[in-house]
Amino acid sequence: MDIEAIMGQVLSGLSVGMVLFLIASGLSVIFGTLKILNLAHGTIYMIGGFLCYWITSTFAHIPAIFWLALILGPIATALLGGLIEIFLLRRIYAEEMLYQYILTFGLILILGELCKLIWGVGYHTVSVPWPVDGKMSIFGMIYPVYNIFLICCGVAVFIGLMAVMRFTGLGRIIRAVTFNREMANALGINVPMVYTGVFMLGCWLAGLAGTLMPPMSVVALGTDMAVIIDCFIIVVIGGMGSLSGAFIGAIILGLVNAFGISLLPKLTIAFGFLLMIIILIIRHWGLLGKPE
Amino acid sequence: MIEVEGLTKSFGGLTAIDNVYLKFKKRELSSIIGPNGAGKTTLFNLITGHLSPDQGKIIFNGRDITNLPPHEISRVGIGRSFQRQNIFPRLSTFENIQIALFSAKHINGKLFSQAKNMLRDETDEILESVGLTDKKLMQAGYLAYGDQKRLEIGIALAIEPQLLLLDEPTAGMSPRETIEITKLIKKLVKKRGLTLIFIEHDMDIVFGISEKVKVMHQGRIIFEGTPKQVKANAEVQKIYLGKDKK
Amino acid sequence: MREIIQEFFKKTLTLRLFWLSTAVILLFILPLFISTAYISLISEMLIMALAGCALNLMMGYTGMVSFGPAGLYAVGAYTTALLLKKTGIPFAATMVAGPIMAGLVGAVVGWFCVRRTAVYFALLTLAFAQIIWTIFFEWYDFTGGDDGTVGFRKPELLLSINSSYYFILLIVIICLILLWIIVNSPFGKTLQAIRENPVRTEFIGVNVKRYQLYAFIISSLFLGAAGSLFAVFSGSVFPDYAHWIKSTDMIVICLLGGMYNFLGPVIGSAVYIFLSKLISGYTMYWMLFLGIIVVFLVLFMRNGIAGFISHKIAPLIQENKETEK
Repeated sequence: MDIEAIMGQVLSGLSVGMVLFLIASGLSVIFGTLKILNLAHGTIYMIGGFLCYWITSTFAHIPAIFWLALILGPIATALLGGLIEIFLLRRIYAEEMLYQYILTFGLILILGELCKLIWGVGYHTVSVPWPVDGKMSIFGMIYPVYNIFLICCGVAVFIGLMAVMRFTGLGRIIRAVTFNREMANALGINVPMVYTGVFMLGCWLAGLAGTLMPPMSVVALGTDMAVIIDCFIIVVIGGMGSLSGAFIGAIILGLVNAFGISLLPKLTIAFGFLLMIIILIIRHWGLLGKPE
Repeated sequence: MIEVEGLTKSFGGLTAIDNVYLKFKKRELSSIIGPNGAGKTTLFNLITGHLSPDQGKIIFNGRDITNLPPHEISRVGIGRSFQRQNIFPRLSTFENIQIALFSAKHINGKLFSQAKNMLRDETDEILESVGLTDKKLMQAGYLAYGDQKRLEIGIALAIEPQLLLLDEPTAGMSPRETIEITKLIKKLVKKRGLTLIFIEHDMDIVFGISEKVKVMHQGRIIFEGTPKQVKANAEVQKIYLGKDKK
Repeated sequence: MREIIQEFFKKTLTLRLFWLSTAVILLFILPLFISTAYISLISEMLIMALAGCALNLMMGYTGMVSFGPAGLYAVGAYTTALLLKKTGIPFAATMVAGPIMAGLVGAVVGWFCVRRTAVYFALLTLAFAQIIWTIFFEWYDFTGGDDGTVGFRKPELLLSINSSYYFILLIVIICLILLWIIVNSPFGKTLQAIRENPVRTEFIGVNVKRYQLYAFIISSLFLGAAGSLFAVFSGSVFPDYAHWIKSTDMIVICLLGGMYNFLGPVIGSAVYIFLSKLISGYTMYWMLFLGIIVVFLVLFMRNGIAGFISHKIAPLIQENKETEK
């Protein structure tokens, strides 16, 4: 492989990795705070994609409609998340993990079928929006601008989230609840509201990723199933509940996939799972997580 | 019987057990007292293998049992009860004892024989001795709090220990229940010729049961003696009894 | 052995076993009355019932929630199918090889998994099952990849739907009796103690990790048996047998029937497969209904159908007994 091809793989690996990071960070934040493994997280991402397609195709006459979709899509998924948290998840926090897993599996089925009802079983595409639709050259090589844009989005969201968690009162409250629910409660923090808020934040991130992905990929049923397993791998590699872990994990998985496909296409899928197994065996709290 | 030599354990800079030397004689009834955070439960966890010490040795009947895993320590003849979470809540009272007996008799690996009537007499005898015969078919999780404590002592006895460690056996009980449980413990221990070490807050029980009292404070043993000597000791009074009178 | 037989006859006198034997007899004479389409549906129910009970030994009895039982089920299925396709060894041997292979893989996988608890255990089982899925999916030359392993020989005796039904019924009943004996043995009771309170179980002298591994292996053996049966029943084997969605199906079957009841997964399997066929006959959106059922189960019927029956009816009987005393 020459240097150009390598750079191309790195770039495409990073851009997919950054979209995965957006989804996985939501999953990780939700797990960290609510201690719930939300299987339906990938489905929220998929709904974001359908919303992006629906908004851009229905209101195609409005200029810069994609950018409007980018604002509205994640808000819609966050609201959906709020409903799910308040009406369903809230009832099962005290239950064993098994019930949480199966409940969110039920959500996959319900939400997936609703998508099928509304948008059908076909594939949909969204064209790359202006002004990030061209190609640009870096060090004399030509890349799609949209890939660069995705990487920037991922990094910006990562920095933004870290800043919110570290430096704002909101972040302190979330960290307090994550650290010790009872104590936070005793300190007068409205824990249920924080839970709803964190879940909505997670769904907002998934919706954001869902809206960003279509110009590079397709909108279709079933994408949720593939993505949720990738997110599990990322979250395990980085450490369950760790934001920066999800960032590193997403980069690792994105690169492993990009290079794997071109070098050892048959073993690529296995690589992610192998990484997950190795981490779970030797360091189950992940690269950047904290041991209990 | 059991000796602890220079035991030390710290958690992230905080020394929970600090160079402790202890000796317990066979058939002696001893208690360990001390304020919260003195390291009493940690000491138990070290003895029973739930934690491993940073330094020091634990010798039981002349054998070094330091760093053995809990299930093996249980097998050498050390039974214990916990402050909480002591029973198998969704199994019947009878099964709670029976399963402990399976383990004691080394038959819990049997795959193809029916458990239902095995060791029935032995189980009934233990149930009788802790006074739970009439509740033997109840789901253990539905037993009253005091009865759960009895069951827990029953489970500890079922593994036929020589040394019994009880962690606050009467915590959270009514005064009447406390008296009953205290009598029960004393009777059972004497009858079976066991060595007993227990952690307790309630001074009436401590002075009622124990022949020897060890006082712990900040991970160290600061005094050992008979209940009378402990009562008379000014330092103990100051550190412990004065502050934490019930 | 004698006491097992004694126990069996003593039980026969009780009402529960009366209904059970009636059901078994009914299952044996069923092909006389109903069409082969239903017979093949019931065959499928029986196989999934076995898979559910096998999983339940680990999940309901030992308290180890696995997200990857389908991996071991698929190992059983592929072993039997590939042996039938690529070798000439006797049919019976291929049926034995399936569970044994699953047991061996289960031993290796389990050895790693039991070192972790709760969510980490579950994720590890999931990752291993996905690795198994990847192997079947990617190793095209050997397994046929996405096209599956198809067109393997079947003994003539099992060519008709009815005779293969009897074969499945017999094997499933034998396996269920074995599982029943195991869960009611001192070993099975020890597993339940581990489920209830692993720390306490350790302190009554049980090597908890080792017993969890044993439970994992036994569960794998029977999952493999179910997989072998399904390979023979359907005549084809696909990588998706190992997929996590198949695992979730199995978990739902256990949950639907009731995890804390031996026959729960049997009920769960019957209801689940019946409903899925019934609803999918009416609408292409049957998974919507399945999703609603699953959510309803988790919110309102956590102990499943069997739990619902025994919690609503059994306490009444219990109370009567107690007042008599």
